Amino acid sequence: MEILNLEGTEDTPKIILDKGNGIFEISGRSLPEDSAEFYQPILDWIESYGESPNSGTDFVFKLEYFNTASSKLILDVLSALEDIDGVTIQWYFHEDDEDMEEAGEEFSELVEIPFEFKTY
Amino acid sequence: MSEEILKALTQLFAIITRQDGGVTEKEREFVISFFKQDLDQDTVSEYVALYDKFSGYSKEKEEGAEKKERKSKLTSVRDSVKVLGLCKKINKTLVQKQKFVVLIKILELVGSDKKFTAQRMEIINTISTVFNIVKDEYKLIESFVLKDNVEEINFDDILLVNSKPHEEVIASNDKQAQEDDTDEVSLTKHFHSNIDGNLIFLRIRSVDMYFLKYLGDDEIVMNGFIMLKNRVYLFSHGSTIKTPRGSALYYSDLIINFNEELKTTKISFNADIQELRFPNGAIGLRGVKISEGTGKLIGIMGASGAGKTTLLNVLAGIDKPTLGSIKINGYDTNTQKERIHGVIGYVSQDDLLIEELTVYQNLYYNAKLCFADASEEEIDKRVMEVLTNLGLDQRKDLRVGGVLDKTISGGQRKRLNIALELIREPAVMFVDEPTSGLSSRDSENVIDLLKELSLKGKLIFVVIHQPSSDIYKMFDKMYIMDTGGYPVFYGNPIEAVTYFKRITNQVDSFRGQCETCGNVNPEQIFNIIEAQVVDEYGQLTNKRKITPTQWNGLYKENFNIETVEDIKEEPPVTLNIPNKLKQTVIFTVRDTLSKLSNKQYLLINLLEAPLLAVILAFIIKYRTSNGGTEYVFRFNENLPAFLMMSIVVALFMGLSVSAEEIIKDRKILKRESFLNLSWNSYLCSKIIILFVMSAIQTLMFVIVGHLILEIKDMTFSFWLVLFSISCMSNMIGLNISSAFNSAITVYILIPLLLIPQMILSGLLFSFDKLNNLISTRGTVPIVADMMASRWAFEAMAVHQFKDNTFEELYFDLEKIESQADFKASYMAKELNKKRQFIFENYQDENDSVQRIIKKDLRILAKELDNESFKEGIEDLDLSTALTIEGYNKEINTQLETYFEAYRKHYQGIYNQTVDKRDERVYKLENNPDYDYKLNDYKNKYFNQSLADLVTNATVKERIIEYRGEIIQQIDPVFNDPDKPSHLFDYRTHFYSPQKHFLGFYFDTYNFNVTVIWLMTFVFYITLYYEVLGKSLQSFGKIKLFKKKATPKK
Repeated sequence: MEILNLEGTEDTPKIILDKGNGIFEISGRSLPEDSAEFYQPILDWIESYGESPNSGTDFVFKLEYFNTASSKLILDVLSALEDIDGVTIQWYFHEDDEDMEEAGEEFSELVEIPFEFKTY
Repeated sequence: MSEEILKALTQLFAIITRQDGGVTEKEREFVISFFKQDLDQDTVSEYVALYDKFSGYSKEKEEGAEKKERKSKLTSVRDSVKVLGLCKKINKTLVQKQKFVVLIKILELVGSDKKFTAQRMEIINTISTVFNIVKDEYKLIESFVLKDNVEEINFDDILLVNSKPHEEVIASNDKQAQEDDTDEVSLTKHFHSNIDGNLIFLRIRSVDMYFLKYLGDDEIVMNGFIMLKNRVYLFSHGSTIKTPRGSALYYSDLIINFNEELKTTKISFNADIQELRFPNGAIGLRGVKISEGTGKLIGIMGASGAGKTTLLNVLAGIDKPTLGSIKINGYDTNTQKERIHGVIGYVSQDDLLIEELTVYQNLYYNAKLCFADASEEEIDKRVMEVLTNLGLDQRKDLRVGGVLDKTISGGQRKRLNIALELIREPAVMFVDEPTSGLSSRDSENVIDLLKELSLKGKLIFVVIHQPSSDIYKMFDKMYIMDTGGYPVFYGNPIEAVTYFKRITNQVDSFRGQCETCGNVNPEQIFNIIEAQVVDEYGQLTNKRKITPTQWNGLYKENFNIETVEDIKEEPPVTLNIPNKLKQTVIFTVRDTLSKLSNKQYLLINLLEAPLLAVILAFIIKYRTSNGGTEYVFRFNENLPAFLMMSIVVALFMGLSVSAEEIIKDRKILKRESFLNLSWNSYLCSKIIILFVMSAIQTLMFVIVGHLILEIKDMTFSFWLVLFSISCMSNMIGLNISSAFNSAITVYILIPLLLIPQMILSGLLFSFDKLNNLISTRGTVPIVADMMASRWAFEAMAVHQFKDNTFEELYFDLEKIESQADFKASYMAKELNKKRQFIFENYQDENDSVQRIIKKDLRILAKELDNESFKEGIEDLDLSTALTIEGYNKEINTQLETYFEAYRKHYQGIYNQTVDKRDERVYKLENNPDYDYKLNDYKNKYFNQSLADLVTNATVKERIIEYRGEIIQQIDPVFNDPDKPSHLFDYRTHFYSPQKHFLGFYFDTYNFNVTVIWLMTFVFYITLYYEVLGKSLQSFGKIKLFKKKATPKK
């Protein structure tokens, strides 16, 4: 399966989705102009990954900031992962960033996937 | 709204408003006013507190310093996710329509202080995506709610109401379009009304909802409330908007502007019924005038017995007004039926469903009959579309079921009834009490559906009884009638309430609906109309305060109905009826399917025949042979009775299976009468099915019966007779079924039809021994000739005797034998006796003796004339010799010798033939090629009892004289018919081996079967022209006339 690797910018997060090495990570800032368009390849990738997933998937979110529009798409990403067995979300937040921690908690209530909260 | 949702909303409001500088006073006020709409004072403060907490309202005031910092900050990720969570929660409970309301509320909230910052708008945008609202619709809603400059709102789904003349707006739009060729063409729709500023209407296409807001300085009242400026209101069914100067604006008048389809269908409906008289002379309707155009939903209300259904029937063209006319697009519904063919749809109060078929099949075959050119897929698509629209798609494979074994609910039945009319999309529909017997939810669904149709351009009339407020308000107009067919109101439904209140000087008369809940109470109207006078003791009297005539007078004063201009084009029709052959096929398939699905019916009909055969044959299987105990067919004395009973069974089965056919379908025929389908095709389909059924039934009967009774070689020929008779019986059944209106009447009639058939079948009572008025010796009486049973019995009896494997070898010889024997032993003697009597008395002057002589001479002349053996009288001129004047001794002697020769001649023939027969028997018995034994054959194929019957073996007088003719009583089956008196003379004695018609002789079996089919054909003609039904009707009219005439004396 192809590796999806997007370098991060000021407005878009860094994406690495690598089935072979078991790396699944979204990190950085997410306020793309058209978030739906930006996240579409990621959602597509997850969908095809879902057809033959690894036995365990640690999906890492290490976000500094995301806007409201992105939050909806992150939820879409999470919902897509919900259908795959063996997914765990690693939710990283800066130790000072209460908002991000709470956002992670809110997300964990919206989907039924185990969340692990970690600081960096 | 549940507490949970309200909390979620409060939080949503709070999160949005706290972005970018926090809550302003105006925004907070908006939220409070929102709470106030739904909540009581205490709860409002509770929710306001909640709102303050989430939005940080009070905190902000204290922490003013922090405020500036916040301003530049981005929306916190926590808020973003929180919004998502709240929206998800809302998604789970609210339907799409409610979500639109929420979205509009949120937009209004932001709009209340015009702080449209990027972050707030982003959140709202995200909310709309989570709510699954299409982007274009969101944009439309956003600009509708937020913009207060009319020019900026330029969408297809916006309607502007202002004081600009309509023509001007259109013209300027056109001009604009020509000038700049850009996208800036005005898309909005326009409606003229004399108001300040603009009323802006928004349509949300996906959920079919309407909102409005007002930008202007007038006091505009919607449903009794004053509209606030720039506030968005839901524009619900039946809403009315009152403007200070212009006339009231009604829901339907405004909504219609959004509808593109309406422009393509044009209908004008003008009814002017001056009077309708019932057949008994009573007046059913007086001075009804209705004028409507495209796309209206008209309600007809009235006290029971006021003539609502009568009016509907007249409007639909089922009944003809005594005076007046109904015109659709200028075509009279009564006199120019063919021009508006297929335009009218009528849904009666009764179920018009085929109960044995599934929901899908009901619609499918109906569609097949309406659209000749549509392919299977198209029809399937259409049916499924209608089913889905009516919410019946889940039920499509359920059998409709009858009143007693219901499989689908009353509401579903009603909807299916409407669907049957809907599928062909008639332009004008009449619906009789679609809500009677339905739950309030089902009622609303049904009316909703009708409303939707009217919005698509159909003109729909609905008789409605006790509508709920919501249903009542959905109507565009109400036609209210009072007892005796007097119209008392015609106009907007809500106006009706105020009209009647005003007339009776009630308080509050300008308010049609409840100010707080918007409810209308249509009951009020009838309370006012039918209000009774109270006597001095406070008891209600039977007298009405205002009589129907007075109400009608007021109606005439207050209402001036403007006639809609007749549209000068053919009304739109989608109907395309298949040709007659195709119709027959469709009818047949439909009917067959419905019969196949009725297991009980099928089982009884298939088992009936073999069961009867077993019972009958078993009981009469009479075992007697000379000394033996074995059953021998030859000696079964019951064979004639069995044949006769077979005929009765065939008649009975044929009648009972067909008698209910048309009665059962009458409802469906009524519905389909609007389609103008072929009656012939319908009848043919019935006939095909019934004949097939008859064929199967009689075949089973014959096979089983013949197996048990060991009747050989007669299976096909007996079956053909029984099948023919059963078919004829089917046809009689259809005739009475089409003429009478209840199944019970029909079943009572069955014995009346069957018993004469039994009496006059020729077996139970000999035709010679009937009442003298009926009986004619030597020929079958005419009344019996009209009975199919007599033809059938004769055919079977003669055929069995003549053509059974035993007799067929000797019949020709035995016939000669019998004829020669009769002439030698009886005829010669009888004639000679006459000669002698004449000779002795021909000179007697006595009048009575002279008469006898004359008669005897005539008989002699006739017999001799017909006689082929003339040896010795060749030179005798019979016409002169055999008269009193011409008779003399010489002639007498000549005759005497002749008769002796005659006797000898026939005796000789007889002896010869007997020898011939013996020779034939001998040859057959001694031919090694055949295994022929005379007695075995006779035992197997020949029946003594039947032979005795057809040879009339038991008769005492073998020769009689009747009305100047000598009649042979014995051996009718060997006696060929006398010389026919004219071409059409078919009449013979019973059991004659041959029949004459048109100069030819036919075998009795073939001839009789043909006669039965001829009868069947005649009955088809009477059925086709409904002769029986029509004569019954005219019979009924005579009676009525007499009744009316008697009181005059």
